[in-house]
Amino acid sequence: MMKNQLTVTIFVLFSTLLTSLQVSSTELLSGAELINNNCARCHNSRPIQEFSKSEWKVIMPHMREKAHLKGAEVQAILEFMEIATTPAQAMNVKEVVNIAADPKEVLTRYGCQGCHQVQGAGGTLGPSLDNVISEKGRAFFLRKVKEPQFNNASSAMPQMPITDEELEALAEFLSSK
Amino acid sequence: MRMKKTLQLATILSAGLMMQQPLYAAESSERFVFVGYGDVKYESADVAGTDAFSARFVPIFLFSLNDKMHVEAELEVGLNADGETVTELEYADIHYFLNDNTTITAGKFLLPFGQFSANWHPSWINRSIWTPGIYGAHGSSQAMDPILPILSDVGVAAQQVYQVGSAKVFLDVFMTNGPRSEAEYDEEGVVDDHDIALARLISPTASIDPDADEHGEAFPEVEFEATNSDNNSNKAFGGRIAVALLPSIEIGTSYYQGAYDENGQLDIKANGVDINLISTHAILRGEYIRTETDAFVEKDYEDVIDSFSRNGWFLQGTFFIGHLFDGLGSTEIVIEHAQTKKVEEAERWMVGVNYWLDPRSVIKVGYEDTDVVDGPDDKRFAVQFSYGF
Ligand code: HEC
Ligand code: HEC
Repeated sequence: MMKNQLTVTIFVLFSTLLTSLQVSSTELLSGAELINNNCARCHNSRPIQEFSKSEWKVIMPHMREKAHLKGAEVQAILEFMEIATTPAQAMNVKEVVNIAADPKEVLTRYGCQGCHQVQGAGGTLGPSLDNVISEKGRAFFLRKVKEPQFNNASSAMPQMPITDEELEALAEFLSSK
Repeated sequence: MRMKKTLQLATILSAGLMMQQPLYAAESSERFVFVGYGDVKYESADVAGTDAFSARFVPIFLFSLNDKMHVEAELEVGLNADGETVTELEYADIHYFLNDNTTITAGKFLLPFGQFSANWHPSWINRSIWTPGIYGAHGSSQAMDPILPILSDVGVAAQQVYQVGSAKVFLDVFMTNGPRSEAEYDEEGVVDDHDIALARLISPTASIDPDADEHGEAFPEVEFEATNSDNNSNKAFGGRIAVALLPSIEIGTSYYQGAYDENGQLDIKANGVDINLISTHAILRGEYIRTETDAFVEKDYEDVIDSFSRNGWFLQGTFFIGHLFDGLGSTEIVIEHAQTKKVEEAERWMVGVNYWLDPRSVIKVGYEDTDVVDGPDDKRFAVQFSYGF
């Protein structure tokens, strides 16, 4: 019984200590970065399109405990899942009709840099995108983003409702460097 | 004090329950998800001279009662050697998300001791066909005598997550009913071979051959399988502290202690260290565990408590060779080494090739070679198809 008291005390002490060590304004990472950082640690990262939005809402609390995520992180992941699987038009974000999309905005919107480096900044779940077009060709790039699992069955890259305009703008941007 | 703490937790949980809106208010499609995994294995084992197919189905039921409460349960359905269906309740618990970084869990859950039990054992996650030697599992009949079973017990747990600079710190503590003495369990006549294999902590040479032990005492066998009761008033407790530099490193250390005899005098203690390194080309995982088990031994015509220690480790490397050579797709190579020391010493090598059909379905081909110091060696070959859903 003494021991049980001891565990409880140690736990309380540790949590107090750690709370005081916490940096006050921890900037919340984007949902894509959180997926990059957390979801391939125990198992292959599961593509977003595998489950519906409402299924993810029930699965994420299961993973919150396993992966030791904070509530706000779970929220950010769910938001990214929603954005990444909803076509731009339906989101009402921006009129995309015939206006060339801004490549940087496209990168942000779909969280590409959460999992890939672009000009040295970004995640590492996937390879850097800087030379992908010069090395593997434009056709490969276009197909890969539309159908991420076409050449790698266990790819964790989500299938996103990226429009042709957005994709063209990205391809232009990535091959111009 | 222990009662008080348990009560406090119960109060927090029920207070939480009462604050929530009626459960039926939630949209049904956002409440329940049926997931899980299953596998089929063909295994040919040298020593046992067996050659067999086996299959398992492991459904997981997830309910999100509301933003703060989540219920989960996992069953494992398989067949035993006599062809009877065996169902195990792997876990059935409720998580209560107390605040942004604290989760309380109550029910039967996989203990946060090391990483294999709670996080790596499902067959679509484990890169090897077998458990990593130092852990035993449901129905496993490996030649290497495990140090601990996959730990799942009834009780309460608390988890906290902290951001400290660029690192994350994970803190887990638990308090559960704890283990019993296996002999006592036998008398109840409810144990079958399958359960023994599952729950056996230590089955050293001493108990098979009493002369082997200098004290003439049988080495204690401890039974871990969870029940809804406790044989003594002492709860088992423990926890894990881990530091993670995401996405690539997680290092943890764990502790477990529980009295297993009726009087609460004999303890089993376990310490563990686990490591998980993740890169784009490889994953390196390992655990070290050390146990100390008390037992009465006769010294100068008196029974005194002495403790027996055992330890073991495994290290597993997974190499994504598919990334390096075009045309290999998502193929990976796995190499694992495990050792147990002090009592029932053994050493095991395993090599395997995994081919992923998608991120959660895999065909694994593996070979393992166990060298048991005082006993028959073993060699096995197996093919397993595993799928998560
Ligand atoms: C600490 C280990 C760990 C981490 C990190 C982790 N998972 Fe899991 N995940 C598991 C385990 C273990 C299972 C198997 C479920 C079980 O047996 O309880 C699982 C199962 C799943 C499943 C299958 C459905 C289910 O609930 O069983 C999905 C989908 C999933 N994880 C997604 C994720 C996502 C998304 C992330 C990142 C936020 C993540 N996982 C991070 C351990 C982990
Ligand atoms: C959740 C993480 C994630 C996000 C978000 C993501 N990807 Fe990926 N991507 C990956 C992973 C992992 C791979 C490597 C595995 C594979 O080959 O599919 C990959 C591979 C690629 C490849 C192939 C690279 C090569 O050299 O073979 C391209 C091109 C690519 N991604 C582009 C994108 C673009 C463009 C976006 C944003 C619109 C994006 N990805 C968003 C995870 C992600």
